[in-house]
Amino acid sequence: MATVPLAILFEGDFVLKLLPVESEDTMDVLAEKARTVTIGVHIADQPGKAIRVRKEGNEEPYPRDMTVETAGLTPMDGVNLYFE
Amino acid sequence: MALLERSEWYDYTRMTNWTPKFVSEEEVFPAMHSGMADVPLSVFDSYDEPYKISYREYVDVQRQKDAGAYSVKAALERADMYNRASPGWISAAKLHYGGVPVVEYHASLMESRFVRFAKAPGMRNMGCFGAMDENRHAQIQLAFPHEYIDKDRQFDWATQGYRTQNWGILAARNLSDDMMMTRDVVQTAIMLNFAFETGFTNLQFIGLSADAANAGDYSFAKMIQSVQSDEARHAQLGTPLLKLMMENGHEAEAQRMVDISFWRTWRLFAVLSGIPMDYYVPLEHRENSWKEFMEEWIIEQFERNLRDLGLQRPWYWDYFLEDLSEEHHGQHIGTYSWRPTLWWNPTAGVSKNEREWLEEKYPGWNDTFGKAWDVVIDNMANGRMEQTVPGTLPVICKVSNLPVVGIPFKTAKIEQITYKGENIQFGSIVDKWIFEQDPERYCRTQTIVDRFLAGKVQPADLGGALQYMGLGVVTDPADDSMGYSWVDEYRPAAAE
Repeated sequence: MATVPLAILFEGDFVLKLLPVESEDTMDVLAEKARTVTIGVHIADQPGKAIRVRKEGNEEPYPRDMTVETAGLTPMDGVNLYFE
Repeated sequence: MALLERSEWYDYTRMTNWTPKFVSEEEVFPAMHSGMADVPLSVFDSYDEPYKISYREYVDVQRQKDAGAYSVKAALERADMYNRASPGWISAAKLHYGGVPVVEYHASLMESRFVRFAKAPGMRNMGCFGAMDENRHAQIQLAFPHEYIDKDRQFDWATQGYRTQNWGILAARNLSDDMMMTRDVVQTAIMLNFAFETGFTNLQFIGLSADAANAGDYSFAKMIQSVQSDEARHAQLGTPLLKLMMENGHEAEAQRMVDISFWRTWRLFAVLSGIPMDYYVPLEHRENSWKEFMEEWIIEQFERNLRDLGLQRPWYWDYFLEDLSEEHHGQHIGTYSWRPTLWWNPTAGVSKNEREWLEEKYPGWNDTFGKAWDVVIDNMANGRMEQTVPGTLPVICKVSNLPVVGIPFKTAKIEQITYKGENIQFGSIVDKWIFEQDPERYCRTQTIVDRFLAGKVQPADLGGALQYMGLGVVTDPADDSMGYSWVDEYRPAAAE
């Protein structure tokens, strides 16, 4: 397991943020880690909605149980997050 | 003995080019320093500086300028400006003093290179005066904040800032290194004297001067006018050089230098001038909005200069016009959010009245940046202060060294490339284009995030990062300039 720092942009945020995740983290775990630095900080919560992750430029989000490593994300890759 | 008029001797004395016999021309003017190696030396004799001055005249005028500025300072020292000025104006002054004076020393070195390596005698002459100008600018802008250090240690960043690795200093130093210190004298003069000085210094030195006078800081206003009167002269150094480039097959290089430097300068000034003008200066003292000031003082004049010289507007012009309503808003909420990392106490500038003004000047502000501020303000109003500083770092642009920001839901976007296996993030499509012009120049830049990820910041936590950036060293981490008193009108009790 290795730490993978990502550049995340949560929809509605004004700034890209650094988010260190682990290569074995699933997209749901990544989303929860992203929540701590975005939701309630610069973005209002939307209770009950899932947070999805997709690579910049992709239409479809990653499957929620896919790991960072399987998704092929490497250090400082940019990913978008949004409320489903 | 009667003295000759300057016009009777000037051309003879400044025409100091000759044909070297003991060394080659390449040794006298190495291409890497002097530039335009394919253009014969004799062509540079036609360089005609628009502003001519003798040393005697220069010294006399400069002495009067210094006497004027320092006498105002002395007269006002008893006026207790520091305790009478608004916290917002103090924020603006400290931001300026921490970021600008030492860059003036860089500029003095830059002008000194013109004296040695410029092929045009007139440019060498102007460079000599320019170097002395910039030395004066460094000294006066170090002297003025010094009197406030015993009242507020943050003013010491004027002297100490460039000895730190603060992220804001890294951004300013990177721009200085790229445009002033590491290019041949031709490219440097186009980027600095033409694009930076004729293009932008009016912003800081006239716009901020007006705001300073309105805010009651007459010594700052006088000092900054004194500086700008020099800038207005030596900034003209680049224009005749551009004419020579256009006439001698260097049009593409000239355009590229203008396009790179205009953007880099714009993005830095959005922080240095844009934030103070729209957020720090008290509402009742604001002369214009940042966007209005840009439109009135910068855009029209710069477009005319380009047209007169036969150059095109930068290819990203439409994108730039949109950016006038974006970049500084994003950088403001960013710098405010990460306020412990600053050398000045920031002013939020988002009281209800101020938000009305922002909405009037920037329609849609409340629905975009305002939404992010709503969350920040709600946290503050309800005592969740720990939520008001993000628990991570912002991603930093590899070119501007500034946080990557944009309008929420609209222009906030990931701009990424992979170079030599490294994923690199940019603040805009223009920053990405600049990188692609010369990847080897920019790829080794170590932003504050690069340094953090490389393990250079120890301990690798907020405390370690702050210490690395000089906070807790030169001064304590910064905080809201008004002690959050502006939040009171948003507190639940105020709504009842």
